[in-house]
Amino acid sequence: MSMEYFSGFTDALRITFVQMMIIAIIAIVIFLYGMILNMRKWGLGSTGYGLEPSSGSAMVFLKTLIAQIRSKGHGQPFLTTLVLDILLQRRILRRSPLRWFMHITMFVGWMALFIISLIMFAFEVLELIGFDANPAALRDMVSVPNDVFSYILLVGVIIAIIRRLFMTNVRENTIAYDSVLLVGLTLIVVTGFISDGIRNGTFWGLGLDYATAPPAALFHVVISLLFCIAYIPYSKYMHMLATPLTILANKGGE
Amino acid sequence: MAKGTPSINTNNLTAVQLMELDACTRCGECENWCPTYDATDKLPGISPRGKIKRWKEYMSKSHGLMASLFGPKQISDEEIQQFNDDLFQCTTCGVCGTVCEAGINTIELWESLRANLVKRGNGPYGKQSMFPKLIKEYHNPYMKDQASRLDWVPEDVTISDNSEIVYFTGCTAGYNQQILALATARVLTKLDVEFSMLGEDEWCCGSALVRTGQQHLEDTPREAARHNVDALKAKGAKKVLFACAGCFRAAKVDWPRLLNEELPFEVVHVTQFLADMIDKGKIKWEETINKTVTYHDPCHLGRHVGVYDEPRKVLQNIPGITFVEMDRIKDEQRCCGAGGGVKAGIPDLALGVATSRVTDAIKTKADILASACPFCRRNLSDGKDKLGADVEVEDVIVLTAKALGLSVE
Ligand code: HEM
Ligand code: SF4
Ligand code: SF4
Repeated sequence: MSMEYFSGFTDALRITFVQMMIIAIIAIVIFLYGMILNMRKWGLGSTGYGLEPSSGSAMVFLKTLIAQIRSKGHGQPFLTTLVLDILLQRRILRRSPLRWFMHITMFVGWMALFIISLIMFAFEVLELIGFDANPAALRDMVSVPNDVFSYILLVGVIIAIIRRLFMTNVRENTIAYDSVLLVGLTLIVVTGFISDGIRNGTFWGLGLDYATAPPAALFHVVISLLFCIAYIPYSKYMHMLATPLTILANKGGE
Repeated sequence: MAKGTPSINTNNLTAVQLMELDACTRCGECENWCPTYDATDKLPGISPRGKIKRWKEYMSKSHGLMASLFGPKQISDEEIQQFNDDLFQCTTCGVCGTVCEAGINTIELWESLRANLVKRGNGPYGKQSMFPKLIKEYHNPYMKDQASRLDWVPEDVTISDNSEIVYFTGCTAGYNQQILALATARVLTKLDVEFSMLGEDEWCCGSALVRTGQQHLEDTPREAARHNVDALKAKGAKKVLFACAGCFRAAKVDWPRLLNEELPFEVVHVTQFLADMIDKGKIKWEETINKTVTYHDPCHLGRHVGVYDEPRKVLQNIPGITFVEMDRIKDEQRCCGAGGGVKAGIPDLALGVATSRVTDAIKTKADILASACPFCRRNLSDGKDKLGADVEVEDVIVLTAKALGLSVE
């Protein structure tokens, strides 16, 4: 059983599973470290209004968060908030249908690609440890959804970039914290298309030689892992977790 | 390895509030609605989004990754003082929280940050620093004699010693805007409602202290809440009526929190009480008010507690009134500009916001701009005078009294 990854390549041109694992582990470690730092920072707060500050432990934060989510008081039920305000992002829709469309495409695209990648990764692992998981077949199966969701994500990113570049008010208020996110997402989507394009010899391959496929794929995987996982706690990406948790803690918000 | 101490601490901020700083997606929606940001021609420091960004940066300099590795980065005292002064240019109206795409509870965040900065020695702002001393000493912020609390009560109004319904006047209606207290008492009498009042035993509700982050100073609001709740209980109160939105909010939201207990009586705004009487068919109007009326939701009655329909119901029920709505109403209402200690601390700002709100009313061509709070009435009147506008500012309870054929002189 060879340690191959991205089964579409010939033996000579492949990213090894070891390479993948190492990058993935590094990304996860950086992510966890950042999350713990953030939770410890938040854990410096008190456990309730008007109480003394806490010691700065992640547990204090988690306990306070859970207590607030479970507390009674005004606000809507948990499930309503989860479905309407987090998955369907009603709070953005109420304010601006255009921004909602922009964001829901980024959200759905990103989430779907993330889940597909996770499943593919799981199949590779299963195959590796001896099950007959057939990752190559899965790869073919998900290639269409992969493409579709990449385009969905791209649509959102393009709208976001156009807003930030051409709407005076938005442009003037843009800081690096905002733009880094968009540049990063663009890079991921585009490298994804290119590495796929090289392998399949399509338009997105930009006419590059098939031999460049593995390094291109590797590059795409590395920046995806680093940018989409490792970078979360250190950037505006943090809102992917902090915003839904805030909405849940405030029971849908005011 | 840590050098020095962090410039800011996390006093009064909950763990969830610290997370909220990182939840702001910088969508900018709050800036489109903030009444003080608007009235100051978009002074950058006042922007809700900007305040969140700055405190988030302070947190990161004081307690973030780099701070934990290499020691905190100092923030100059001038910078923190400036932040404080910007933070207090906010009426705690809460519209930023209503529109926040990230669902941040901004009112609580601003109040917690204020308390933090008061403790640090930066806050509050201007004359607001007088509140704790005055309220502690006089039990009202106007340095009035407690014994004169009921001086305005006319002979035709009977106040019971004990009753299930108690009318809590509030300092502003009781001393400075007595027309509201008078109208309320006469309306209740006319409707055959037996009620009592606390008189000397009515202490300031403490709202001004909580809104300006000074609730911890000598524990005055908690003491006042304890005293008022006990005094109301002693009167036999089952239902306590408020005609002041500020006191109403304090009793409904702040008192239970300060005392950490549920109140032994119902907290009711007088417009809710009247709407209920209308439903029960107990109100017989005697006069017609042939005017076009629009209604301004007080923040503390509307957005903070959710009472939107009852005041409208009362106005629409009064014979003759043509009711019109202005721009920005209910949960998206534009604040009158008086709240959060702004009227006392930064009167010019309060006036600026009031003129915007009166302008909203003028656009509807209404004859009367009604509200249900003495602070709104006072500040909107000031805004009207500043504009020289041809619109009457009046409280729902006064219009009710007039429509019941009562004098408010
Ligand atoms: C897959 C996860 C997510 C991704 C990839 C993502 C991506 C982004 C990006 C790139 C922006 C910046 C757009 C811009 O201002 O130019 C943004 C803004 C925003 N995100 Fe997310 N996000 C995710 C999850 C969420 C979730 C779960 C929520 C909350 C329910 C949320 C709420 C927001 C809001 C309110 C904005 C501001 C939108 C505006 O400017 O109107 N995001 N997001
Ligand atoms: S509470 Fe009102 S005044 Fe204060 S920042 Fe928010 S919108 Fe502005
Ligand atoms: S509305 Fe909320 S999320 Fe948007 S910028 Fe303001 S505080 Fe941040």
